[in-house]
Amino acid sequence: MADKFVSKRNLKFLLYEVFGVDELIEYEYFQDHSRETFDMIIDTAIKIGTDLMYPVFQEMDADPPQYMDGIVKTHPAVRTTMSEFGQGGWINANQSYEYGGQQIPTVIQNVLQFIFCAANYSLNAYPGLTRGAANLIVHFGSQEQKDQYLEKMFSGHWQGTMALTEPDAGSSLADIRTSAEDTGLGYYKIKGTKIFISAGDTDAVDNTIHMMLARIKGAPAGVKGISLFIVPKYRSNKNGESEFNDLTCAGIEHKLGYKGSPICQLAMGENGDCHGYLVGEPNKGLSYMFHMMNEKRVAVGIGAAAKATAAYYAALEYAQQRLQGRKVSEKDPLSAQIPIIEHADVKRMLLFQRAVCEGSLSLAIQAAKYLDLASVGEEAEKYDLMSDLLIPIVKTYPSEMGILSTSSAIQCLGGYGFCRDFPVEQYYRDIRIDTLHEGTTGIQAKDLLGRKVTMKGGKAYQLVIEEISITIGQAEVIPDLKEYAAKLTKALDVFKEVTDCLLELKQQGDLEKFEADAAIYLEMAGVLVVAWQWLMQAITAAKALTSGVSESDTNFYHGKLYTFKYYYKYELPKIEGLAAVLKNSDAITIKMNPELFLD
Amino acid sequence: MKVLVCVKQTFDTEAKIELKDGKIADAGINLIINPYDEVAVEGGIQLKEKKVVDEVVVLSAGSDKAMDAIRTALAMGADRGILIKQDTGADEYARAIALAAAIKEENPDIILAGHVAADDGSSQVPTRIAEILGLPHINVITEIEVADGKATCTCEADGGTLVAEVVLPAVISSQVSWNEPRYPSMKGIMQAKKKPVTTADAAAADNKVTIIEFAMPPAKQAGIKVEDDPEVCAAKLADWMKNTVKIEV
Ligand SMILES: Cc1cc2nc3c(=O)[nH]c(=O)nc-3n(C[C@H](O)[C@H](O)[C@H](O)COP(=O)(O)OP(=O)(O)OC[C@H]3O[C@@H](n4cnc5c(N)ncnc54)[C@H](O)[C@@H]3O)c2cc1C
Ligand SMILES: Cc1cc2nc3c(=O)[nH]c(=O)nc-3n(C[C@H](O)[C@H](O)[C@H](O)COP(=O)(O)OP(=O)(O)OC[C@H]3O[C@@H](n4cnc5c(N)ncnc54)[C@H](O)[C@@H]3O)c2cc1C
Repeated sequence: MADKFVSKRNLKFLLYEVFGVDELIEYEYFQDHSRETFDMIIDTAIKIGTDLMYPVFQEMDADPPQYMDGIVKTHPAVRTTMSEFGQGGWINANQSYEYGGQQIPTVIQNVLQFIFCAANYSLNAYPGLTRGAANLIVHFGSQEQKDQYLEKMFSGHWQGTMALTEPDAGSSLADIRTSAEDTGLGYYKIKGTKIFISAGDTDAVDNTIHMMLARIKGAPAGVKGISLFIVPKYRSNKNGESEFNDLTCAGIEHKLGYKGSPICQLAMGENGDCHGYLVGEPNKGLSYMFHMMNEKRVAVGIGAAAKATAAYYAALEYAQQRLQGRKVSEKDPLSAQIPIIEHADVKRMLLFQRAVCEGSLSLAIQAAKYLDLASVGEEAEKYDLMSDLLIPIVKTYPSEMGILSTSSAIQCLGGYGFCRDFPVEQYYRDIRIDTLHEGTTGIQAKDLLGRKVTMKGGKAYQLVIEEISITIGQAEVIPDLKEYAAKLTKALDVFKEVTDCLLELKQQGDLEKFEADAAIYLEMAGVLVVAWQWLMQAITAAKALTSGVSESDTNFYHGKLYTFKYYYKYELPKIEGLAAVLKNSDAITIKMNPELFLD
Repeated sequence: MKVLVCVKQTFDTEAKIELKDGKIADAGINLIINPYDEVAVEGGIQLKEKKVVDEVVVLSAGSDKAMDAIRTALAMGADRGILIKQDTGADEYARAIALAAAIKEENPDIILAGHVAADDGSSQVPTRIAEILGLPHINVITEIEVADGKATCTCEADGGTLVAEVVLPAVISSQVSWNEPRYPSMKGIMQAKKKPVTTADAAAADNKVTIIEFAMPPAKQAGIKVEDDPEVCAAKLADWMKNTVKIEV
């Protein structure tokens, strides 16, 4: 295994030098924090990742959860991690003091997520899901529900899950069929089947609490008739004793990657005795879930960036050590072979990975900072709108490009990249989930083009474009960055032109055509906003280099600038090709009727 | 009762050490609490949790950066800190004088430390402190029981263990197998910043030892591979050991 899976130097560069997140301390809600506490939190997270999580990263893949006699047996590290995270306060760190949390900013929470996911993505899923599930109870649960569940979940004794998906309702949650019947006794009787529920069962904890979507009998069809329930595996009876809640794990799937955490099929109410407890008001379930969606989607983007980053460091380490071939100019066959990191093509692959990973992380930190400012700042609406617009991109760019980035890591290792002795093949398999869960790329694309670009009369779209223009303005006055500012200006113009073109289709009422290539539009938006992130990083690096910095920092900033230039030379030009596709209104994908696929 | 724990800030044991102009290039290297001292901090906190002591004080001598080591110990659960400002180039003699002066003022019942530092590995400081203060010293402990003004310590001994009893106050240094140091908790991290840390200048003392040069260990040489029938291999290997590497038996 490689020595390194994250770079503390890069995290600090992004947090403090590029995004100045220490500014958040000025807000009352975060006033107990300081750069010192942020640093210590990050250092401790890296230590936990290094000592507890990274060492079992490959083992949990080789020895995945087993389904035995109705119970899912998970790796022993799950129990120790849940307990360590619970005792250390890492599950509820971002909650308010009222809920025993430490009010850490979303942006710091995401950096922790990044560190833990880079160390061991599957293992982080258990506390991560518990955090998400408990957060729903914090926001929408009754006092009684909070008293009953939060302490056990935050302390890592109980696992939390998000139980949405069903055999006939994946992307289309409107079609959920699990039913809930009011007994009038303070609980509903739940009946149905859920599939793909992450950490849906594990012997590592004493109980599993499912935040489940179900339809109350007689509720309206579609999204307006879905409610949210707490459905525990073990409920407590009148005497406070724990009893089985007629919720069984009927099996687990065998997956391509992300193997350390199971996805379970759940059967509720086979004996007519599964109790569910309504959260909030009836029929509001989906809107509650969506309330949490932004943070969860940023977390997926962060997770993808993290896996790609760990793969990048493994490839980098290998490339420094592997001796193979000679310089093109070296004609002596007896001369020593050189480390492959000296070959331009290998450097190109490493630069690609670094550009994707650090661009993705920067974008996710940007969006997380907007989420923080939306919750505590004076211009809440502005930041809310900007984060809303960016979220489908924050989720998708790292997930889609991360696949290519981890593939490039494999390529750097040659034949060994394909073998299990090295971790990169696992990162490649593990990252493949991220374009699927929390809404597929196709669904994110519809969200961006069909909803976000035009919401509030296109205000969010305008605001983000203004932010990009501000960065361009800052780069224009730095001589070395002027030409890049011009490149981004041009790309931004192309993007605006394409958007106008597509919106015209919408105006004409041609909705099929309008959304047909939404995924290509999302891809284009990704290339653009990551270029913006790289320009921000370049501005910071260029300025830092003008004030006397140490030798290692000089190297760091020059490395940043080369990666930035790589992005503008190799990635940004893709905008032109994508624009050509999007402006061509041939509608091939619409005209290609399903029967034409028959051969 | 009060326990005082001496902590040294060292380079991360995972860090890649590089030399520049005959000195360790420390820019960008991660600094941590000496892992052996971390065990001592944990030991001190456990004594407090068992209500054997009422207060855990951490003491470090070093540059301003050593404040991070103190804060980390406070985040783990120590109550307050003392930073003695001293040049990082101080040798064990000067270091022990500075620490002993601060300890004398604090007058603790138990003085804990790691038995060795992960960086220079000289294992001198706790013994020197005991000597300066005229206190007994128990080394490489793996267990401790405190009662009636005495500490009963289980220590590593050649091929086994020994149990020693000592009248307090005493200097006691830890072996890593004593305990598993905890990670700072979120709550601990937030509280650490509010816990008091005092700073003072080190008692003056000149080094007795001067480091002339640092050098990296020689690069690992490629091994040899002997392939043949087992008996032939054994003979060839024996010959290689005797005549090439010249191992004396
Ligand atoms: C490892 C893993 C973990 C998971 N964890 C959880 C969990 O914890 N909780 C949970 O509830 N679920 C979980 N899921 C389920 C996951 O959220 C769904 O798989 C995902 O939402 C897609 O649904 P589906 O699999 O039914 O695919 P489908 O919805 O059948 O989609 C198949 C394809 O069709 C496309 N498509 C579907 N509808 C449209 C449309 N209207 N327009 C355009 N394209 C469309 C999709 O983009 C996709 O490419 C998990 C899945 C996996 C694989
Ligand atoms: C599943 C599998 C089956 C195989 N089957 C066979 C087989 O049947 N017979 C057989 O003989 N071999 C076989 N191989 C070996 C395979 O051909 C080699 O793995 C492949 O040629 C790459 O060599 P390498 O693994 O040593 O990678 P390396 O040569 O170390 O390459 C590592 C990276 O460095 C780059 N690189 C290396 N040299 C240069 C250079 N001069 N300039 C620029 N970039 C450079 C490479 O492009 C690559 O990205 C197999 C490998 C696998 C994984």
